[in-house]
Amino acid sequence: MNGRSEKPIEKRETPTYLVLIFLVLLLVMGMVLPKGARSLVTHMMIFCILAMGYDVCFGLTNQCSLGHAVFFGAGAYGVVLSMLHLKVGILPSLFFSLGTGFILALIMGLICVRLSEAYFVIITAIFFAVFHLFAMDLTWLTGGDDGLSLNLPPLSLGPVTLSLYHPMVNYYFVLIFLGISYLILNRMARSPMGKIFMSIRENEKRLQFLGYDVFRYKLIAFIVSGIFSALSGGLYALTLRYASADFFSFPWSIMPVVWCLIGGIGTLAGPWIGVVIMSLFQYYVSAWWTYYLILFGIIILLILRLSRKGILGYLISRRLTQKA
Amino acid sequence: MPEIVSTTLFLLVNGLIWGLIVALIAIGLSLIFGVMGIVNMAHGDIYMAGAVLSFYVVSMLGSFWLSLVLVPAAIILIAAPMERFVLRPYEGYHSTTMIATVGISFIIQQIALGTYGGIPKKITNPWPISFNFLGVDYPGYRFLVACISILILAGLWLFLYKTSYGILVRASMQDREMASAMGIDVSKVLITTFVIGSILAALGGVLAAPINQVFYLMGNDVILLCFIVVIIGGLGSLKGTLIAALSLCSLEGVLASVLSPVQARAAIFIVMIIVLIRRPRGLFTE
Amino acid sequence: MNGGNKILETVSVTMRFGGLTALDGVTYSIREGEVRGIIGPNGAGKTTLFNVITGELKPTSGKIFLRGKEISSLPPHAICQEGLGRTFQLTFIFPEMTVYDSIWVGVNSRARRPWNPFILAHQVDDFSQKTKEICHLVGLEEKMNELASNLSYGDQKILEIAMALSTRPSILLLDEPTQGVSPQETDNIAAVIEKLSKRITIILIEHSMDVVLRLCSSITVLNEGRVVAEGSPKEISKNEEVQRVYLGEAS
Repeated sequence: MNGRSEKPIEKRETPTYLVLIFLVLLLVMGMVLPKGARSLVTHMMIFCILAMGYDVCFGLTNQCSLGHAVFFGAGAYGVVLSMLHLKVGILPSLFFSLGTGFILALIMGLICVRLSEAYFVIITAIFFAVFHLFAMDLTWLTGGDDGLSLNLPPLSLGPVTLSLYHPMVNYYFVLIFLGISYLILNRMARSPMGKIFMSIRENEKRLQFLGYDVFRYKLIAFIVSGIFSALSGGLYALTLRYASADFFSFPWSIMPVVWCLIGGIGTLAGPWIGVVIMSLFQYYVSAWWTYYLILFGIIILLILRLSRKGILGYLISRRLTQKA
Repeated sequence: MPEIVSTTLFLLVNGLIWGLIVALIAIGLSLIFGVMGIVNMAHGDIYMAGAVLSFYVVSMLGSFWLSLVLVPAAIILIAAPMERFVLRPYEGYHSTTMIATVGISFIIQQIALGTYGGIPKKITNPWPISFNFLGVDYPGYRFLVACISILILAGLWLFLYKTSYGILVRASMQDREMASAMGIDVSKVLITTFVIGSILAALGGVLAAPINQVFYLMGNDVILLCFIVVIIGGLGSLKGTLIAALSLCSLEGVLASVLSPVQARAAIFIVMIIVLIRRPRGLFTE
Repeated sequence: MNGGNKILETVSVTMRFGGLTALDGVTYSIREGEVRGIIGPNGAGKTTLFNVITGELKPTSGKIFLRGKEISSLPPHAICQEGLGRTFQLTFIFPEMTVYDSIWVGVNSRARRPWNPFILAHQVDDFSQKTKEICHLVGLEEKMNELASNLSYGDQKILEIAMALSTRPSILLLDEPTQGVSPQETDNIAAVIEKLSKRITIILIEHSMDVVLRLCSSITVLNEGRVVAEGSPKEISKNEEVQRVYLGEAS
């Protein structure tokens, strides 16, 4: 009896082929879309990476962090500061992004992960608020909320030299990272580590009695989450050619939560649905009503009422219970 | 008395009084957490609502004292349905409820923005006299704030420890399932607790309004401070919250004169980290 | 069934919560191959004893030894790795994982690198094999791909046992495995335990005297945190103090 032929059904994930189809669609759209739409989609793709990264923490291991703005902002500044002060190129700057994300997630994780649920939420919130405060205050370093602008050097990949100033190049640059991030995280979710994460979500205490040091795995999930969130911050800074203290502000901490809740926590690509819906919503509704945030709050309440697992999670569990 | 001592004394007393206000708000937060298990992320916005409503009462009816009565009444009308119809459905799912309160926070803030506006305004000082105490000129209003806060806290203590309803609330804080099994109508306790917690925050807003400016985002800064306070004092421990609030606010007040406000906040933050590493549940919980 | 080395030993274990003494100087030992029943009225401290042994609680005083190694202050996951498995009184499972995955997680925990992020979980062949063996052993092979929350209560109790088994323990602690279950399912579960008892040492907390008398080679009686009697099922059922303890309880 070969394990390969009897794959245990992993129902919680979005079917991979659907995601791959979506990525191909994005590939094609890049050539077809008009300028404004292409820019919006580029931003959405960056948010998808952020949402996915957050889902590792919130969806896979049930750690409701409100502090991910720290990683997003740090990732952005990792790019900007390394380029401004160390004069590195585009790809190396992203390494700085990832490195900063890793270190911050490690430190924050060591302090926060072992805390119980409510304390974890509060203290991650405190972290981002304090980082925001520092970022606004240390204007010599961060430019405060005016921020720091970048001049992007050209990106040389072997014989080819590209410029991210060209919107198409920017688009595909981000798309490649989105694809790679998805493949890595998808693989991780299906690996033994991913199964462990899932079990943490299902019943953390039981897992301890099955011989796992749960703290260690929650920490790993938190760090992975931080790294990908920082990556998205770095890409955002490259796309906007700019980073400001606003990147540490509350929306960047709460939006990933909303994306995951709308799209489906624990499904990795489900939050992409949340990104699309909320981005379109913000884009169109904020144009005709300045108080659109009220609708935003109402949407949060309604979605949570419908299912605490988000739209996709709700659909998936409907399918599962119907099969039984 | 040498200048530095009198200045420090002034700042210390200021900090303590601000600490009393923060204590009211943070105790409200802690109470709600202790009984309902949720962290009310909209708590700071209820504080703001208290201040905004107080502004309206003062500008329309002319009396600050009236607002001390009318605002809590208004808050009951807001908080009770909020608990019953918005929060109760998520009962038991703590992360979900906390995010729901974030949704509520957006709604309250935007309503305030739409009605009250985005410009910070001040409420005139209801008691513009000053005392001279130990050589320092002290604003009378702050003294008033201290008295009122202490009265409120004393009233709360009486309620929790001397009335039968208060005992129910405390029992529910200890063990909700046990309380329910003993026939206590837990839903009544939930509403009562949420309303009391919210009133405390709103009263904090009323008292703070003449001191700080009334601004639709004022809740955000206060909630951060409350969070730090409950982390250090211990979520659910009312005594711990009070002590932490008083100590932290006086500390921050004194530090803010020597360092910049942000640096003072940073110092408090570091204190919190140190406490957290040693005692993950705060100083006063078991 | 007796004889063999001492596999688990508690020495004067006391557990106090504030003013309440849940366990008072409990000293007893289990030998390899035994099926030891632990009985006693509600509140006697049976589950607390399990909690202390498995590391969920740290004893106020006293020591616990697993195969001669002191485990008193080890965290639960380390104790599990030492070869101790347990079930919980109320089913404590992974609701939205399949039976297969639930057991697989336990099997994986004994791997050298259980956290491997690079391979695909279902491709680890010998784990797949072991998981299926355990499913077969407890009689759940037909329901392998069912979600745990969709199982009947009795089957969930069996899944509990299977999960405890999955870490390949040398001693298994079962906390009221037949509680709340229909008589037919009780029979089923008892049969599973009987099958297991031939391979590993078992400690069983039970309220159902039928099950205890059927399965256990020896019995320890606890009351108010103290060991009141110990012996073979026959001896225990004749013991006057035990009768008093049970008759005095309206359980």
